Amino acid sequence: MVELVPTLLRQELARLAEDDQRLDGRAQWEGREVSLEVDCLYNAEGSAKVVMGKTIVYAGVKFELRTPWPDRPSQGSLMCGAELRPVAHRKYEPGPPSPESIELGRVVDRGIRESGCIDMESLCIVPGEKVWGVMIDIHVLSDGGNIFDACGLAAIAALRTAIVPAERFDVGEDYKLKVNGTPIMSSFTRVGGRYIYDPSEEEELGGDERIHITLGDEGHLHSLQKGLRGVFTPAEFAEIFDVAHQRCTDLRTLVANQEGN
Amino acid sequence: MGGYGDVQLLRDDGLRLDGRKLDEMRPVSIEAGILPAADGSAMVTHGLNVAVAAVYGPMEAHPRKIQRQDRAVIDVRYNMAPFSTGDRIRPGYNRRSREISKVTAEALESVVLVERFPRSKIRVEIEILAAEAGTRCAGLTAAAVALADAGIPMRDLIVGVASGKVEGIVVLDLDKAEDNYGQADLPVGILPNTGEIAFLQMDGDLSPDEYNLAMEYNFKAAAEIHEIMVDALKRRYEGGEN
Repeated sequence: MVELVPTLLRQELARLAEDDQRLDGRAQWEGREVSLEVDCLYNAEGSAKVVMGKTIVYAGVKFELRTPWPDRPSQGSLMCGAELRPVAHRKYEPGPPSPESIELGRVVDRGIRESGCIDMESLCIVPGEKVWGVMIDIHVLSDGGNIFDACGLAAIAALRTAIVPAERFDVGEDYKLKVNGTPIMSSFTRVGGRYIYDPSEEEELGGDERIHITLGDEGHLHSLQKGLRGVFTPAEFAEIFDVAHQRCTDLRTLVANQEGN
Repeated sequence: MGGYGDVQLLRDDGLRLDGRKLDEMRPVSIEAGILPAADGSAMVTHGLNVAVAAVYGPMEAHPRKIQRQDRAVIDVRYNMAPFSTGDRIRPGYNRRSREISKVTAEALESVVLVERFPRSKIRVEIEILAAEAGTRCAGLTAAAVALADAGIPMRDLIVGVASGKVEGIVVLDLDKAEDNYGQADLPVGILPNTGEIAFLQMDGDLSPDEYNLAMEYNFKAAAEIHEIMVDALKRRYEGGEN
């Protein structure tokens, strides 16, 4: 059966694309305004709220003491998870984590982990006995499109403001978690045949495959992901990579400015 | 209740540790319509508690076995975010959140005109982002404002409030320390216009007189919070936004 709304929306988006236009009037590579707030959650050791259009995401960092893995006795651990709870949209149903939320959490996790911004050795308290486990939990409260970028931004901003609660666990004084870098994700969706940056909810509904690129401070790639049905060419990737580079730099500045406040 | 008698919760001057009077509640602020994707929503900040509620529907009720031929069912999910407490909570439903969801749903079904929407479902999602004792009450208040924000007809709002007992003295609106080390907790959902009660739980130890005083405090606080709820809803619609 043909789904009516996406089909009509798809036609309209294709028509707009011919004139290089978007449904909400943005240019092809133009993002929505991003608002970032850090240290906004009592009880989380680091926290951030990101608002991008109709998308609202919170991230909170918690720490726990654990015994290290036997093969890595002097390394702590980092875990990042995302919950697409039914609060965020009528399309999300209650139940065990969906493949979508698992993908989301894992893509954000890879970007942060692989950038090396957390030195796992620095999370060691007593080798072989006691290390810190750092957990970033991302909570999507409203899905208005491109939750990947919002989650990635909230996660790294929360991590960068985190205070290690050593006093509460009786292992010394509290200190600021050392984070060496600000990996940032940029996401693109094919809409009306060509890629656009920062898809809205409607563009995701009437669009095709998506590509997520996470870049570190030096402009190196740390995580890539293609999602949904569709293919792309190397030339298309080269074009969006350039855009990603610029947008990641802008958002990294936004994070740095927030921390300065 | 924790019930350790040796923790001092009242100061020598008779005030509470955070400086409140016995019948003084923590500051409350409410904002309606904060979630663009939802049909109705609200955020309640009560002391350091932050509760967000979203309403979706009325919509088709499925699975079909939950359908009622004569009325809507209200499907409530109360959930604490993993980062909302001192120690991280594992994501997912647990026994506590299931019970709170159930009694909250039953309270809301007591005020929503459910018979107007036979065979349908109204989804109410309560997310606790920060917890400092009293989250079920903050969540209930948020749910009531979110339902009103969604334009769902109701007989009345519901206000979630709690009183309790510390060091043998009845106090309004327990904070974290008072909840952990106090002797009783009495959370209720009050219909501010009719004076009826739609939500009731209690644990600990209260004499009948203490119960009466705690309830008196709860009604006083409910009247105060009710004004803040109405104000939030008015601001939402005076703002001209939809």
